[in-house]
Amino acid sequence: MKPETKDRLRAVVGEANFSDKLIDLVTYSSDASPHLHRPEAAIWATSAEQVQAIVQLANQEDFPVTVRGAGTGLSGLSVPAKGGLVLDLSRMDQILDINITDRVAVVQPGVIYADLDNALAPHGYFFPPDPGSSKVCTLGGNVATNAGGVKGAKYGTTRDYVLGLTVVLGDGSIMRTGNRAMKSVSGFDLTRLFVGSEGVLGIVTEIILKINPKPRANATTLAVFDDLEDAGRAVSGVMASGVVPSVLEILGRETLRAINQNTELNLPEVDAMLLAETDGYTQGEADYQMERVVEQFRAHNAREVKQAESAAQAAELWKARKSCVPVLARIRPSFILEDITVPISQVAAMLRGVQEIAARQQVQIATFGHAGDGNLHPQIIYDAADPEESKRVEAAVHDLFQLALDLGGTLTGEHGIGLSKAAYMEMEHDPVAMKLMRSIKKVCDPNNVLNPGKMALDV
Amino acid sequence: MAEQYPHLEKFRDQIQRCSRCGFCQAHCPVFGGTRRPALNARGKMLLLKEVLEGSLELNDELVESLFQCTTCASCTSNCPSGVDVPAIIKAARKQMVGLGTCHPAFSGMDQVLDEYDNIYAEDEPEDFDRVRGGKAEVVYFIGCVGQYREEDATEAALDLLDHLEVDYTLIDEVCCSGVLEDVGFSIKPALARKNIERILATGAKTLVTGCPYCYRTFSKQEAYAPLREAGLTIVHLSQFLAGRDLGLRSDLKVTYHDPCDLGRHCGIYEEPRQTIKAVAPNFVELADHHQDALCCGAGGGVRGAYAKNSLAMARRRLAQVEDSGAEVLLTECNSCVHNLSNAKLRAQKFRVMTTPQFLMELIEES
Repeated sequence: MKPETKDRLRAVVGEANFSDKLIDLVTYSSDASPHLHRPEAAIWATSAEQVQAIVQLANQEDFPVTVRGAGTGLSGLSVPAKGGLVLDLSRMDQILDINITDRVAVVQPGVIYADLDNALAPHGYFFPPDPGSSKVCTLGGNVATNAGGVKGAKYGTTRDYVLGLTVVLGDGSIMRTGNRAMKSVSGFDLTRLFVGSEGVLGIVTEIILKINPKPRANATTLAVFDDLEDAGRAVSGVMASGVVPSVLEILGRETLRAINQNTELNLPEVDAMLLAETDGYTQGEADYQMERVVEQFRAHNAREVKQAESAAQAAELWKARKSCVPVLARIRPSFILEDITVPISQVAAMLRGVQEIAARQQVQIATFGHAGDGNLHPQIIYDAADPEESKRVEAAVHDLFQLALDLGGTLTGEHGIGLSKAAYMEMEHDPVAMKLMRSIKKVCDPNNVLNPGKMALDV
Repeated sequence: MAEQYPHLEKFRDQIQRCSRCGFCQAHCPVFGGTRRPALNARGKMLLLKEVLEGSLELNDELVESLFQCTTCASCTSNCPSGVDVPAIIKAARKQMVGLGTCHPAFSGMDQVLDEYDNIYAEDEPEDFDRVRGGKAEVVYFIGCVGQYREEDATEAALDLLDHLEVDYTLIDEVCCSGVLEDVGFSIKPALARKNIERILATGAKTLVTGCPYCYRTFSKQEAYAPLREAGLTIVHLSQFLAGRDLGLRSDLKVTYHDPCDLGRHCGIYEEPRQTIKAVAPNFVELADHHQDALCCGAGGGVRGAYAKNSLAMARRRLAQVEDSGAEVLLTECNSCVHNLSNAKLRAQKFRVMTTPQFLMELIEES
């Protein structure tokens, strides 16, 4: 990047919001994925107009712009793969409006998920997607990745709550999509096109979100199964039982073993453990749903079913699930956390397939995930410094993707394509779909300045 | 081959274990005030990883990141991978100081303690008109901030001990110098020796201090092991007061700021609350509390070296106090009181004081 270009960027945002210091370039070279590439400069924008000026400059002077929120993405979405500028939106952190009657919250992209949650709580409302990184991730990042979480089965993902956006397109023009109304069939659904678009089409500078009244009661149950098939059938049975649990999580044998080796939880080392939570506006409503869930657990040979009698007991039951990522992260030096998603009827087949892949490729894979929406997290734990093992991991990743697609699923349920899965895009999407996606990219970002190198779009 | 960075090498596994999830941003005071990832724990671990891999030099360019950390440990309490960030930051700073790279404010602290007995290079300590170096059951150790910057808080702590008829003495104390360990240097053995000799000479069984950092230093640092070996019970003033029936009552809406050195570093969360809640039942927690408490921004040498950001951190904490609707903010650390009071805006009507100050006001009113 030329010194004159840097000066022009400084003129847009002011000295304090621009940096080409080494410490910033190194820290903006990665996110929560294993990918790494240094940018040439970093900038913090504080308004849509600044974002627009930056994108216009990128078009004039031909440098890439990679947008970043909290940098908690797991697929390299905010890694500046082609260098250039990292545009950090975390200082655009104002909640602009909360309107309970309209059921909307209007926010800037840098607002942290937990901050919105805290602001909604006094009204008895919440924004349901609840991603695992909710304490730190930004809503702009949630929109860009179409983030999901443990409550996906009942409450869906970010996409189900975005009513409208303000977007700076790759050519530097500003566009508004959607509106504050609960329904709208006016024109193409451009809002949805941008949700999950990973910063390759435009940069979101304002978000209109639908919010929900928060259920006040819940019930929590844990069940263990000696046989994976039984657990899989229990999941299908629950989801077909006429109630939808707010949480239905599964932990596989490898995960349970890893937790036992590293905690005092003393879990039974069975094939699978299921954790269910139901919610409602009265305790009776939550309990009624939980009775249906427990019926299914028992009907499918659960060895043991533990129901929480209090919030403290519920927290006990959650401990195993909450310890998954930390425990698995500590066992080996490196890990890859996948998020393949399959139809709910295929959850057991997917879990069995993961075990077969681990055996075939001789890698260690522990699986847990959101059984209720078929979204599984096989976590491959290994040593990235070992080239032989890394090669086997790569092969295992390929096999996992193939299996998910064979079962009628997808490469990614909530983490996104980014860099990690770019090479597999054509495995899932046919040539016609790929051509259309590349055409859309071309229309929105003719000079390919926005987040180049991602999603296999710049061929 | 000789290791280039022996201090850092000890933490190689931990530095590599950082999975870059970014959860350390949640309550990091420096990140919260600046939204600059280079100043957050994850950024620091990325820099050190590159240093250990040989792609980055440990030089002056890294000072702004590695020396700008209050060592409050909120990152560690949010870390799924169990990385002990404050220990790594201390090691990195020692390594850098060894290589001749350091923030001038930090090396200044070390130089001051070569020449003076206190961190502020003051000549005349306040004597508080109390017995020094007497024989007593309890030694009360004030600490530099209480001695030279927050004299009113110290006066209140001593008045409270008098009120409770505690048999105590002060000593001619010198800086415990524990903070040097955080800023790239080491405890001064000569200062530690003076404190140890003077404390033990009183024949006391209990050492009470109003300073959470001195408490940490006395109870954990090797240089002060003789105190522990002598069988001395070492407590923070808040522990000494917990469970006493003071017979006081206030209807004010009161909240409490957990000092990092007392809370996250020593696990002392409940004793201060026990005392406060017994007196002021109209107690509210701040939005972030216990292990999630926001740091006041004073620690780890940051107040001296990066004053502007330090004040910004204090202001974020004060904004939480404002949101809580509390009329009084209590804490158990003179350093926190100092930074928070300096940062408080005139429009913010709540008061900032130590728990002993609050209790003494009630005693004087009754």
